[in-house]
Amino acid sequence: MGGFFSSLFSGLFGTREMRILILGLDGAGKTTILYRLQVGEVVTTIPTIGFNVETVTYKNLKFQVWDLGGQTSIRPYWRCYYSNTDAVIYVVDSSDRDRMGISKSELVAMLEEEELKKAILVVFANKQDMEQAMTPTEVANSLGLPALKDRKWQIFKTSATKGTGLDEAMEWLVESLKSRQ
Amino acid sequence: MFAKLKKKIAEEAATGPRTGRMPRSMSKESITSVGADSGDDFASDGSSSRDDLSSQILRRNDQIRKLEVKLSDYAEQLRLMQKTKEKLEIALEKHQDSSLRKMQDQNESFQANRAKMAEGMALALDKKDQEWKEKMAALEQEKASLEARLEQSLSLFQKRDEQDELEGFQMQELAKVKHMLLRKEEQLSLRERELKQRGEELNTARLTLSQTQDKLYELGEEHEELSRINSQLRTQRDEFLSEKEELEKKMTDMEAREQELQQLIQQVSEDFQKAQNKAKSLQKSMETLQTEHSELKLQHEQHKSKVAMTEEERQRLLADLQEKALSLERRLEANLSQDEHLQELLKEKSTLEQRLEDTRGELLEERTKHTTAVSTQEAQISRLNTNVSELQTLLRHKDDSSRSYRERTDSQIADLEQRLTDSSERLKVLEQQLAESQTHKEKLQAEWLEERERLQQQVSTHRQRGLEKTAKLEEEILKLQREREAENSAQSDSMRLLVEEKDSLLKSKAETENTVEELKAELQQSRAELSSRQTVSVEIAKALEETRKQREELQQQVAEMSESLQRAEQEVHQLTEQVGVKEAELSSLREDLQTTRTSLSSLQAEYEVFRQEAEQKEQERNSQIESLRQELLTHSQQHDSYQSKVFDLQSEVESLTAQLQDAEVCVSEQNGVVAIGDLDQLQKANKELEQQLSEKNKTIKQLQQRLAELKRTFQKELKLKPDNDTDGKEKLSDGRQERPEKPSTETTVPAATSTPAPTFSNTTGLAAITPHTTVTNSSDLMDTREINFEYLKHVVLKFMSSREAEAYQLIRAVSVLLHFTREEEDMLKQTLEYKMSWFGSKPSPKGIIRPSISGAPSSWS
Repeated sequence: MGGFFSSLFSGLFGTREMRILILGLDGAGKTTILYRLQVGEVVTTIPTIGFNVETVTYKNLKFQVWDLGGQTSIRPYWRCYYSNTDAVIYVVDSSDRDRMGISKSELVAMLEEEELKKAILVVFANKQDMEQAMTPTEVANSLGLPALKDRKWQIFKTSATKGTGLDEAMEWLVESLKSRQ
Repeated sequence: MFAKLKKKIAEEAATGPRTGRMPRSMSKESITSVGADSGDDFASDGSSSRDDLSSQILRRNDQIRKLEVKLSDYAEQLRLMQKTKEKLEIALEKHQDSSLRKMQDQNESFQANRAKMAEGMALALDKKDQEWKEKMAALEQEKASLEARLEQSLSLFQKRDEQDELEGFQMQELAKVKHMLLRKEEQLSLRERELKQRGEELNTARLTLSQTQDKLYELGEEHEELSRINSQLRTQRDEFLSEKEELEKKMTDMEAREQELQQLIQQVSEDFQKAQNKAKSLQKSMETLQTEHSELKLQHEQHKSKVAMTEEERQRLLADLQEKALSLERRLEANLSQDEHLQELLKEKSTLEQRLEDTRGELLEERTKHTTAVSTQEAQISRLNTNVSELQTLLRHKDDSSRSYRERTDSQIADLEQRLTDSSERLKVLEQQLAESQTHKEKLQAEWLEERERLQQQVSTHRQRGLEKTAKLEEEILKLQREREAENSAQSDSMRLLVEEKDSLLKSKAETENTVEELKAELQQSRAELSSRQTVSVEIAKALEETRKQREELQQQVAEMSESLQRAEQEVHQLTEQVGVKEAELSSLREDLQTTRTSLSSLQAEYEVFRQEAEQKEQERNSQIESLRQELLTHSQQHDSYQSKVFDLQSEVESLTAQLQDAEVCVSEQNGVVAIGDLDQLQKANKELEQQLSEKNKTIKQLQQRLAELKRTFQKELKLKPDNDTDGKEKLSDGRQERPEKPSTETTVPAATSTPAPTFSNTTGLAAITPHTTVTNSSDLMDTREINFEYLKHVVLKFMSSREAEAYQLIRAVSVLLHFTREEEDMLKQTLEYKMSWFGSKPSPKGIIRPSISGAPSSWS
């Protein structure tokens, strides 16, 4: 009943909330990106044990953005949030070359989930302001993105603290979500 | 050994069938068969039928046969073993014999070898001696020939050396002569250079001479210039002197003029005094005139006052007469008839008027006189005054002229004096200048003379020096030439001497060399002899040592051989002993095996017993749990029924109250009496029901508190025994189920009243944990547990605080974290959907909770 009404409601007003997950290893900058998208400011963050949910409005589209904690012990709970997800923002710390392999394995495990088969993948090669940061192409290669099939994906170089690259990424995401509808 | 084994086997064969139970032996088949048989035995004890017995006997017989066959096999094997053993012993003995023989052979061969070696060595020594002697002879011959050759070669070498040395000497001497020549040439060149230098010096001296002459000329010119300057200065001096004379003349003129001027001044002063005297006399006359003038002024004033007085008297008289006239006119007018009188009066009047006119005339006359006198006097005064002023002006003029004259003379005198002083100063200055110039001139002349003398002296000295130098140089050159010649002669002499010395030295050298050669030859001969003898003796000693070493080696070999023999014997002994020990061990091991097997069987039996007991306990526990659950269910049902009753009652109450209100409304209008009784009854029932409700609510609260306490204790226990994460979460899920499933907690209320709640929760919880808990207190597990707990806390908190739409998304996470069953999850979803939707009914908790509880064990295990 409720679902019916909510669907009816959303049909009436045309503002169905897009559900987006922000995933990535701990310390990649997920929470900073979330609040940068929501309030446009750099907030001081602590390691997220749990998650943060915020409603972000971008170009008349409402996003319910879920920022899930990336600590090793709570990564297994990501799959609890996969259902009804429209897009996944996967954040990678470009300067952390050592854990790129772990990041790749987590990404691969996530993409194999049945519930995320139709989700759009946006990879943020974050922390581009760091000196030793890898380039987006390097990040894409080390994550094995070119090998992905049946998946709409794009990689963007971003810096959450400087606020660069986020707008382009969201622009692309909005366009691709609109085109998918 | 074999006999014993046989006996054992025979005994076993004999006892086996009697006891019915075979002692367990090695093969697996036998064990299984025995096990099966034992099972059969149990069965046969229960029911003993003859058929079974016969069949059993048959089976036993078969078994016995089989065993006998096996036994015979074993016996054969044993026999074979015996044979092999005997064979081995024989072989051992053979081996020992052969080894002994070998030893003896080896000894013999060794001794023979030794003898042969000794003989061979002696022969070899002899041969070697001969060879040595031959070699020695050959060597001596060679030596002789070589010595001869050596002598020849030595003489040749000596000659060569001598030649070389002579050549060397010649070369050295030549080099020396050359060196000397070179030196002389160098000295010559040095001398020539010196000569050149001297010539250069001469030239330079000449140049300096010419320069000094030039300087002299210059100085002469300077002297001329200076004399010119001197003459100029003299002329200047003359001029100055003439000027001085002129100035002195001027001075005398000026003084004369001054005297004149002073005379003039005296005259002027005298004039001035005269003029002053005149002025004084004039002033005196002027003073007298002024006094006269003042006197005249006084007289005039007196006259004036007198005139005024007389005029006033006349005016008064006139006024009196006019008044008389007037009074007389009035008398006339009054006495119109008195014409005469009048006429008289008129006459009188006219007379009076005439008199008046007369007096007036007199007065005028007097007045004119007076005025004339005054005017004359005034004229006189003015004249006098003019005179005085003229005199004064004259005086002033004279004063001014005298002053100006004086000033002029003073200034002229001062100027003249100044000029005098200036001219005297100038004179002094000029005189000083003159003196200075004269002194300067004198100095210059003195200097010039000195310089001249000096230069002349220098020139003379330079000339003398140059001449001396040239003389010296010529002398030196001559000396050097002489020296050179002398040196050349000396060199030629020394050359000759050296050649002579060389010849003598060569001769002496040859002699000494001859003696040296002889001595050397002798030395070499003696040395060769000594060395040959020494080598021979050394070689003999070496040969002897070698033979000794060989002997020793042989003895060592013999000793080693005997030792190896002994070792082999010992090994044989050890092997036999080991064989015996092994056999004993075999037997003991067999016995051990048997004992262990028996113990195993007993342990198996015990294990089975224990297992059965455990199963029984488990069954009991399961039954307890089930009974408890059933109780719980019944209690929940009861609770539900109570709740439904409460709801019903509430609805009734509501309906009743509604009715009451209606009734009251109606009663107030129609019949209030009838309804009041019913109302009271209803109200009473209502109160009773409310009381019941409140009591039940209290019990519920108490029970909830108890439950919370129990949960806390439970969590503490869990923290003390941290299991793997899943167990912890299960416990937590137990604790957390309360919130999302409120109805389920309420169902436990009646259960707590009848059966104590702690037993229920604890037994179920602990039964689930105890089998798994392995008390390992590692920090990593704690950390992960803490993080998981924090995560759970955060998720639940968000779940409770977030919007329905978000909470709906969180159901999955919560149910995973708390290990909800599918049904529980679905229930949660339904409730949330109900909350989100505007319509629809609350999903009944009954149908959901039951499966959740019945399905619990599967999730908890």
